[in-house]
Amino acid sequence: MDEVFKALADPTRRQLLDELFARDGQTLSELEGRLPMSRFGVMKHLKVLEEAGLLTTRKRGREKLHFLNPVPIRLVYERWVSKYADTWASALTELKQEIEEEQR
Amino acid sequence: MREEEKAYAVIGGRGSMSVFEIYVKTTPELLWEAITDPEMRAKYSFGVRVESDWTPGSSYRSGVPGVIEIASGENLEVDPPRLLVQSFTAHWSEEVEAEGTSRVTWEIEPVGDSCCLRVTHDQLAEDANDELFGGWPMILSGLKTLLETGELLDTPGSLRYSGAAEA
Repeated sequence: MDEVFKALADPTRRQLLDELFARDGQTLSELEGRLPMSRFGVMKHLKVLEEAGLLTTRKRGREKLHFLNPVPIRLVYERWVSKYADTWASALTELKQEIEEEQR
Repeated sequence: MREEEKAYAVIGGRGSMSVFEIYVKTTPELLWEAITDPEMRAKYSFGVRVESDWTPGSSYRSGVPGVIEIASGENLEVDPPRLLVQSFTAHWSEEVEAEGTSRVTWEIEPVGDSCCLRVTHDQLAEDANDELFGGWPMILSGLKTLLETGELLDTPGSLRYSGAAEA
C-alpha cells in the first residue's frame, strides 16, 4: 500500500492515470504526446505506476498497451472509506426509525 | 523483460478492453475453486451463483433464479488452474443486454507465495456501457478478502442479491 500512495503523490503520475481513465489501453507514444516531458521521463513514471499495481501492460502485436488497474484504489477505499459508508447507512436507518416513531 | 516472461492469453481483436489485476495470497487451485464453485462465487460476487459444468465449450449462467439474471455465455477455454476464457452477455438490464457479447479472460499466475489474478474484459464496444466492467474491482477485492481471511466483504452493494432467493 505504501507504493500506491508514493505513486499517487506525484502530479505527472496522476495525470498519466487521468489519461488512461479517459482512454484505456494507450501506447507510450500516445501518452508521451500529451505530456510536456521526455519519453524517458514518461517511461520512468509509468514504471513507478506499474510497480504500485496501478497500471498494467499488455502486448497487442508489436505494441505495448497501458491499462489503468483500479483494484488497488478499491482496496484503499475498503480499508477506510467503507466504514464511513456503513455508519452513514446505519445513521440513515436510525433517522428513518425515529421519524416513523414520531409519526405514530 | 517482465513482459516477455509472462505467458499471456491471446487478447485484443475488435473493440475496447479493460484489465484488472490483483495479488491474492493463495494457491492457483484454491483460486480456481473460488472462481468456479457456485457457493464460493456467491460470497464475493453480489451474492450471485455461477452454474456450469466447466468443460471446454460448455455454457454458464449467473443470477438468482426468479429474481435476476446477471450474465450467460460459453466457456471458450478451460485450463484449470491457469486459464478460463468466457464469452459474456449481460442480462441485468435492457441497456447492458443491448451491448451484445464481449469476452472475459481469467488468468492465474503463481508469484512467490501468492497468485496474480488478471481479469481481462475485451471485445467490448468502443463506447461500451461502463456497468459491464465496472463491477470487477469490487468482485476481485471481495475474492481476495474471502481467500485470505475466510470472511465476507460486505461493503455497500457488494452482496446485494444474497438471500434474495429466500426472501
